[in-house]
Amino acid sequence: MARLLQKQQNKAEQSSLKDKKVAASLKQNMQDTKELFGYGVNKDFAMRSITLKSNGKKGILFYFSSIVDGERINLHIIKPLLTAEGDRIKNIVSIENIEETSDFEKVVQNINSGKVILFVEGDTQAYAMDVADFAHRPVSKAENEVTIKGPQEAFTESLNSNISLIRKQLHNHSLINEGIQVGERSVNEVNVIYIKDLVNDDILNNVRDRIKNIKTDNVRNLEILEQFIEERPYSLIPTILYTEKPDKATSYLEDGYVVILMDSSSACLIVPVTFWSFFHAPEDRYLRFFYGNFTRSIRIFCFYLTLMISASYVAISNFHSEMIPPDLLLAITASRERVPFPLIIEVLMMEIAFELIREAGLRIPNPLGPTIGIVGALILGQAAVEANIISPIIVIVAALSGLSSFAVADLNMNFTIRLMRFIFILAAGTYGMLSLTGAFLLFLMYAASIKSFGVSFFSPMSPHFMSSEDTIFRKTVRKEIFRPTYLHLKDIQKKPK
Amino acid sequence: MMNKLWIVFGLLILLTGCYDRIELEQQSYVIAMGIDKTENKGVYAFTYQIANPEVGSAAGQGGSNEPASEIVTVHGADILSATYTANSFVSKKITLDHTRIIVISEELARNPDFIRVIQSASRSPQIRRGVQLVVSKEKASEFINNNQPVMEQRPHKYFQFMLDRADQTGIIPAASLHRFFQITEGDADLFLAIYASTKKDKKQEQGKNKLEDEYIAGQIPQLGGSPTQFMGAGVFKEGKMIDTLDGEEVRIVHILDNTLELNNYLTTMPDPFDPEFQLSYNYSQKQNAKVDITYHQDKPTEIDVLVPFQIEVIAIPSLIRYAHDQEKQDALENAITKRLEEKTMEIIKKAQEQYKSDPFYWSLYIRHEFTNIKQYEKADWHKKIFPNAEVNVTYQLDKLEFGKMLDDSNLDRVRD
Repeated sequence: MARLLQKQQNKAEQSSLKDKKVAASLKQNMQDTKELFGYGVNKDFAMRSITLKSNGKKGILFYFSSIVDGERINLHIIKPLLTAEGDRIKNIVSIENIEETSDFEKVVQNINSGKVILFVEGDTQAYAMDVADFAHRPVSKAENEVTIKGPQEAFTESLNSNISLIRKQLHNHSLINEGIQVGERSVNEVNVIYIKDLVNDDILNNVRDRIKNIKTDNVRNLEILEQFIEERPYSLIPTILYTEKPDKATSYLEDGYVVILMDSSSACLIVPVTFWSFFHAPEDRYLRFFYGNFTRSIRIFCFYLTLMISASYVAISNFHSEMIPPDLLLAITASRERVPFPLIIEVLMMEIAFELIREAGLRIPNPLGPTIGIVGALILGQAAVEANIISPIIVIVAALSGLSSFAVADLNMNFTIRLMRFIFILAAGTYGMLSLTGAFLLFLMYAASIKSFGVSFFSPMSPHFMSSEDTIFRKTVRKEIFRPTYLHLKDIQKKPK
Repeated sequence: MMNKLWIVFGLLILLTGCYDRIELEQQSYVIAMGIDKTENKGVYAFTYQIANPEVGSAAGQGGSNEPASEIVTVHGADILSATYTANSFVSKKITLDHTRIIVISEELARNPDFIRVIQSASRSPQIRRGVQLVVSKEKASEFINNNQPVMEQRPHKYFQFMLDRADQTGIIPAASLHRFFQITEGDADLFLAIYASTKKDKKQEQGKNKLEDEYIAGQIPQLGGSPTQFMGAGVFKEGKMIDTLDGEEVRIVHILDNTLELNNYLTTMPDPFDPEFQLSYNYSQKQNAKVDITYHQDKPTEIDVLVPFQIEVIAIPSLIRYAHDQEKQDALENAITKRLEEKTMEIIKKAQEQYKSDPFYWSLYIRHEFTNIKQYEKADWHKKIFPNAEVNVTYQLDKLEFGKMLDDSNLDRVRD
């Protein structure tokens, strides 16, 4: 009850701010702003009052000193205001972007996003000038999506540099960067980027709607946004592609996809996606035809290995020992003679051990790093075998399945197959090949039913669409004529007609 | 709805109790199985050779003192029920999935009851249809017990290598259980089983002046090595063994039967110009024999067989210079062809007169003459068509080669 009341109260407060206009009285504006931002208590909230040279009126500047560029304020705002003549504020200050607003809510938002607000005595307009300078790291190498051949730059946490990284590769006047505000308490901007004369408007509207419909206090970054706009939050299969490479984002933009960027995230989201996007790496296309397809074939093989090798091993050795060649069969039998656990437990133990090492290795601070190697080698290695806890063949199986899982580079898809692997192992342990096949079929059927922003997950393969045929394998670059038609783009042909 | 579905799924998994799951180490793998007659009718002695997984595999540290296999014999009515009896002294579940060969004593094979006991092998999914049928001259249990390979300690490897190699050289036929049932139930043609023995034949002494492939198992004069010999074939007509073929005859069957594989083999013949010496050559067949059957209802059926083959002469101890002399080459060619044709006609005659059926699976080429099975059965391959047929076999030499070197050393020059 108390919470409900509080909620209503908050609403009342917010709605009062919503309708509030900038007053003509400078004193009134000053008081309101001071109160809202807790001037005096809030250490980095700054206020400067000046007298404008042009008309002699008083003016007040408000900004957060921690998120603006002080130099620019001095040089391009205060100095001109104090010294220059001119009939309008816009003509006096030398800042690229000046926004006039009479809404008090806008004023608050602008201050929050790193702008300077200028109130002038007797003026019902407030002037918002962009001098934001959030701290961010410089453009560096992509660390999680390593490529040998191709651009090395990665997105940073700064929106402006990210857009600049994209524009650097795509010189196109139709490339639109559209801002949409999300969040109730902290209003953040989501930037939707697309090529205007390519993109399918239905998909674009779908994306806009989903972002606009987010009802929450705060969407801090893309990673949270991803979970707000995805279709099935309980599904194992991801429907949004997350990448930190501007070149990858650009290539998707060129194909008519929509890219979503946000300040404070060093990555972008790409929608809609199909299964193939998760399985491709940008390097496949930078390498020559055969080299690229070779890496693809390795990756699809690894994909299959990770999902199936442990499960197949369990199914075959527990239910269909006649499938194993006699030499191998006797070798496995001999090695299992003194192991106390059923085979499926052995496999699960090793798989879990591998996951442990993986997770621990990720979280462990760098100086302690070598320990994980030693402990890991003990668990996964000779010691466990010698202690008769597991048989040596399991080490090979678990190592293979673990190693292959790294070949699937995309983090989301990586988790998908790592989790599916356990489901398959359990399925294989119940009815052998029969239930393994059943589980795989169900998985495939489910995956085929998934849609990402209206696009089927396995298109253009199934259902079939015209495309550049860059699915399992790719063609030579010269033969890529079409854009993916499952997106229903405005222009499907790549070359000029 | 969804919840109910989950409950059903959950129960499904729980109720399985992992239905037929069995851990590998809880099973005993039978590599070879033997079947013998006993004094009681309907009761047979089954011998199982069970592989010891720990011998010969690097993973098992212990077990080096254990034997490579365990051989047990039990009495029973059929193959499968006997395995359960055997479990009274074999600790693990006996599994027949990996059985390589089924050994049948000649005594049982010649008995009309043989087909009754082997029938159960086709019913069980445990026994593969690729299992090779071996007829042993002695009792099957004796054969398995005496078979002590020297180099290949592990029995499955021994049988695999032994049968593969002997089959490649053509001295034994490929005799899978599948083929046995196929031919027996087809009720035409003869089935050839592998013939083997671990006992020396008394006739071995006579065998000393025979040529390299005119033996059946047990007759080959041998010193040292494993006593087991695989050579020749047991001839089965309508599920019962009626005769044996020696290695040479089996090779000819391989040549004429396109369902059997034969790559090449080495053999010798008397030198046509100097019969004192043997000339040895490599016979190889790149193409299948062409079998052409013209069926006549009222007069004898004509069977024309054309066998293209290639010869590479390996050794000419008589030092006759064939390579330089076209005339001598032609003579040699004729001699080889004639010899092959003679040998082939011999076995065909034997088949027509003695067996009254063919071991070459030729009935395959006549089946299309008939519109339905009834007609085909009425025509009767066994009794009417084959025994009366006019068979012509022509060997056609495609290529005659003389090995790496054209010339032998000139004796006159060496000994001056």
